[in-house]
Amino acid sequence: MMTSPVGRMYATALTLFTFFVAWALVAAKPWPANGPASADPRLLALQAREIKVRRESIQTRRLVQQRWDIYRARLAKRNQRIAAAAAAPPPVRIVTAPATTVTRTS
Amino acid sequence: MKRRVFKSMGTEIELITLAQDADAQLSDAEAEFHRLEGLLTRFDPASELSRLNANAALEAGPELREIVRLALEGRSNTGGRFDPTVHDAVAAAGYDRTFAELPDDGPAPSGGSPCGGGVRLSGRRIELDEGVRLDLGGIGKGYAAEHAATILSAAGPCLVNAGGDIALRGTWTIGVDEGLTLELTGGGLATSGRDRRTWRRGGKELHHLIDPATGEPAACDLLRASVVARDAIQAEIWAKALFLAGSHAAAAEADANRLPCVLVTRKGETRLAGGLA
Repeated sequence: MMTSPVGRMYATALTLFTFFVAWALVAAKPWPANGPASADPRLLALQAREIKVRRESIQTRRLVQQRWDIYRARLAKRNQRIAAAAAAPPPVRIVTAPATTVTRTS
Repeated sequence: MKRRVFKSMGTEIELITLAQDADAQLSDAEAEFHRLEGLLTRFDPASELSRLNANAALEAGPELREIVRLALEGRSNTGGRFDPTVHDAVAAAGYDRTFAELPDDGPAPSGGSPCGGGVRLSGRRIELDEGVRLDLGGIGKGYAAEHAATILSAAGPCLVNAGGDIALRGTWTIGVDEGLTLELTGGGLATSGRDRRTWRRGGKELHHLIDPATGEPAACDLLRASVVARDAIQAEIWAKALFLAGSHAAAAEADANRLPCVLVTRKGETRLAGGLA
């Protein structure tokens, strides 16, 4: 039996110390928070929106690329038509009139 | 109508104008021919072209840059049948001095020279790949004819005939083949063939139209091809390209590209194509 007052004081102090250490450990929550109850619904909504926006961005980029390709193909054809018109030979016809000069191997 | 004839670029040049008072323009047009010949001849080591060929690179003047650009464009448009890099091939075939200085015959050429080497234009600079030299004889007369026609047209409708490569301003009649006369309004007309500028080596007749694919004088069934185009430069380029294609392919290509042309085969048959009928 612990009848000594000094011994009793040491025992009380050790008990209090052990109690506060245990309290601090529990308050620190060292175990991982998990389970659906811990997820913030606003964060989940934000994540879903991000995925949706990313998907829409890919679709939009693909659509713009398709339209750009079509535009470029049409522009190339148009430029070819313009070049062909510019490269068109002059009006020419066979006549029986006398020639001013002649062409021959140069 | 006024007419002036003189020699330049190894051929006879003919200037014709309907204007009566065109002496100044006629003189300016003639001077332009001589000036361009001085820049573009491969037979004068001091010409701008010879300096480019000797050094493989040159800060070139505007005319040389423009004509090289046009020649490269022609090479691209004709799938390489027109090619300004035939210098060594045409020299190897024996055409290594002015045509007037060529001997009647000589040793047979050892073989073709490769064509189609790299030519780069960057700003004022022209650069050639190693071993590449340019011969602008296939485009120079048409180019000079267009320059001269522009000068002469200040006086009125005119015609410039550079040894068969013709630039027109106004409506004119041109004889193409025996009995065939064309009436053209503006544009150009040129003829390329193996019926002139021929020489002999090793007893064999050679000519100046090099096939860039073989690096040798072209062996095809055509005697000559005359082509009408938007200007004398394009006419000269396409006359060579169609000549090298041979009669069947040339007629099909002329029809597809709407290039009026007269093709004369070595058998003497005349064929019209490109909408000419």
